[in-house]
Amino acid sequence: MTITEEEPPVVVQAPPALEAVDIVKSFDGVHALKGVRLSVQPGEIHALLGENGAGKSTLIKIVTGLYSPDSGEIRRGGETVEFANVRAAHQAGVVALYQELSIVPTISVAENVLLGEQLPSRAGIVNGRALRRRAGEQLARLQQKIPLRKLAGDLSPVQQTMVAVARALATDARVLILDEPTASLTETEIREVFAVLRALREEGVAIVYVSHRLEEVFELCDRLTIMRNGETIVTKNVADTTIDEVISTMVGRSADSLYPERGTATKDVVLTVEHLNGRRVKDVSFEAYAGEVLGIGGLAGSGRSELLRILAGAQGHKGGTITVGGVPLRRRSAVGRMLDAGVALVPEERRSQGVLLGTSIQDNIALANLGAVSRAGVVSGRQIAQMAKRGMADLQIKARGPKQSVGELSGGNQQKVVLAKMLARRPKVLLMDEPTRGIDVGTKAEIYRLIRELAAQGTAVIAVSSELPELIGMSDRILIMHEGSISGEVAAEGADDEILLSYAYGRSE
Amino acid sequence: MTTQKESTTTTAVVVQQSKAAGRLLISGGTVVALILLILFFFLMRPDTFLSFVNVRNILYQISILAIIAGAQTIVMVLGDFDLSVGATSSLAGAVTSVLLLQENGLGVALLAGLAVGLIVGLVNGILIAYLKMSAFVATLATMTSVIGLGYLVTGGTTVFGMPAEFNQLGQGRFLNIPLPVYFAVAISVLIWAGLRFTTVGRRWYAIGGNVEVARLSGVNVRFARLLAFTLAGIISAIGGILLAARLGSAAAEQGGDNTLFSVAAVFLGMTVVRSGAANLVGTMIGVAIIGVMSNGLNILGVNAYVQQVVTGLIIIAAVTLSSLKTRET
Repeated sequence: MTITEEEPPVVVQAPPALEAVDIVKSFDGVHALKGVRLSVQPGEIHALLGENGAGKSTLIKIVTGLYSPDSGEIRRGGETVEFANVRAAHQAGVVALYQELSIVPTISVAENVLLGEQLPSRAGIVNGRALRRRAGEQLARLQQKIPLRKLAGDLSPVQQTMVAVARALATDARVLILDEPTASLTETEIREVFAVLRALREEGVAIVYVSHRLEEVFELCDRLTIMRNGETIVTKNVADTTIDEVISTMVGRSADSLYPERGTATKDVVLTVEHLNGRRVKDVSFEAYAGEVLGIGGLAGSGRSELLRILAGAQGHKGGTITVGGVPLRRRSAVGRMLDAGVALVPEERRSQGVLLGTSIQDNIALANLGAVSRAGVVSGRQIAQMAKRGMADLQIKARGPKQSVGELSGGNQQKVVLAKMLARRPKVLLMDEPTRGIDVGTKAEIYRLIRELAAQGTAVIAVSSELPELIGMSDRILIMHEGSISGEVAAEGADDEILLSYAYGRSE
Repeated sequence: MTTQKESTTTTAVVVQQSKAAGRLLISGGTVVALILLILFFFLMRPDTFLSFVNVRNILYQISILAIIAGAQTIVMVLGDFDLSVGATSSLAGAVTSVLLLQENGLGVALLAGLAVGLIVGLVNGILIAYLKMSAFVATLATMTSVIGLGYLVTGGTTVFGMPAEFNQLGQGRFLNIPLPVYFAVAISVLIWAGLRFTTVGRRWYAIGGNVEVARLSGVNVRFARLLAFTLAGIISAIGGILLAARLGSAAAEQGGDNTLFSVAAVFLGMTVVRSGAANLVGTMIGVAIIGVMSNGLNILGVNAYVQQVVTGLIIIAAVTLSSLKTRET
């Protein structure tokens, strides 16, 4: 079943199962894809790699009919196709599975497997037995024994993944696109998924595998395509390259030049957290210092984001104390109160948590500063405009003017609007959850510089990041979380991935 | 949108002005529909439709709906809606009327009517903001109970015979224009200014735009929502008291039609602005469309039931057109 080293991946000279040729796509004048090429053979597992914002998701949405390209061609088995919608792509055998959106939790496993199929029925009454038999056959192909009557929402993450794969197979998928399929799985579960994917490869299914976990890519995939800033940089056999080479190709330059000099940290404690407990956060204690950038790492689901949310007052906590600038804070959480105390959060999901997309830059910035731009409850348009202009100048936000709608800006500039909104509060502690997610490399460097400038002015910056190079590069000190607790602390200078990962997996003592 | 003076000479403002013109064009659809309606009825009845008496009549007819639609606009700015506005207005009118018939003073009766609005609004707000019920379920439930209370208060009949000084509020005129028109204009201006120029209005719009963004920006979402529903209740009560005064009578469901018409007016108004958010100017255009149509069809002698059918069709047409527009941009 598995391909060994004596048996190098045979690239079949059949027409590619899926081919994207010179795909161009832009949103609001910003080029998301600038002539992307991707070619996947039947019976191949093909990794699609790139940093966040490189254009992977846009490409996937185009080949699965969710977006239509501005120009370029999609070919399926050598023939040019145009998918009007997701259904059309399904019917052509192209199916994408996203991490969490792929099952309906409130209906049974069997119904999930056959979702979108013609259900076995007579006169509109579904034949439950036939339904379960057909669903069972699909799951058997994957060597899975999952109770067919169970609600899909009650399954473990790996079982849910399997149900989603089984559904794709039920619709006779010949091209299967998996977006971060292992993100929430344990090591053993990942093995299980890999075994299934290898079996599907034997059946001639073409698999596009999107992942940030390069070790997995090198273990599983036959070829890889690297994207950067909306372009495909290279397609290679996995056997012909190395992880280091892949990383430097993804980043596009040596990582060091991205980050500004350290050396602004002081010993003045700004924030003290003691024995903090809450949802996904267990007995967390630490201090943050003025002028320091404190990185927080850990796997997805380790409680990093929840910790920030509790500190920002966006989520309640059950016990422990938070002290800002020597003043202990009352137990009840509210974002407004934490902002008043000097703690501000730049949230993880910019578009759904950070900015009002249909609203102007100045009104977005004013939203967290209504007290400062109003008198007796009446807002001053002049003061709002002044505040926005100051923020736009300080952070070099590229826009036509303070009244431009935030939805029209690039991701990097949107992130700067969120920052401007929070910085106008002059926070003592700035919390940032994934500060550069979905931002191009150039703007990333700018954000790192801004973070360091803030620190230099005496702010304590606490930043959560999933990207290890970023965590090491921007921080002075790094706390690693594992299952809700802090499992390790390291100085960022000279830290390496290995030690961070071992703490993240809770392996070190 | 307060344009700042110091930048009037810069190019940015020129761009914004040309954009504002584009926005006006986009907003055109619903406004054009109103103008076409007026034109149509004018051509059909050139002698009566635009006469002073008939225009005054239209304004008089829509004044109560305008007040209640104003209340509805507030909650719809937050992305909610309130199905109890009509029932609340009826109950407020009924309580005021019954108290007057029991020889209470005008001030006491009016305050009691307003208190009805305050209480129903508070209950709605608590259910929705603090007990996290959906606005649909919560206001449907309060609507049901409030109608029941209305029947209890009125004894299931239409009560009448209130003192003239009360009826004067709804029937009196100043400068030959009925008083409810002045009330409607005053309340509308207040709501418009409140939505536009106050911190509370900003918070409401932010909540309607994206609750999570508002919350993470420090907005006390629950309190803002409670306030919106409470105000909607009080304003509805004012509408209901004026309606009872205008009719010189009160009954448990006399304001009932205004619920759906108020939602319709706000929806029509949402098509007027590019953002698609509820807004008071738009709501008033929606109220005007409903009022002009009802009056015009009346003058033409069209059956009232047909009018209702047409109102529904106009809403569908307006909302469809505006969604087509947003799809293009």
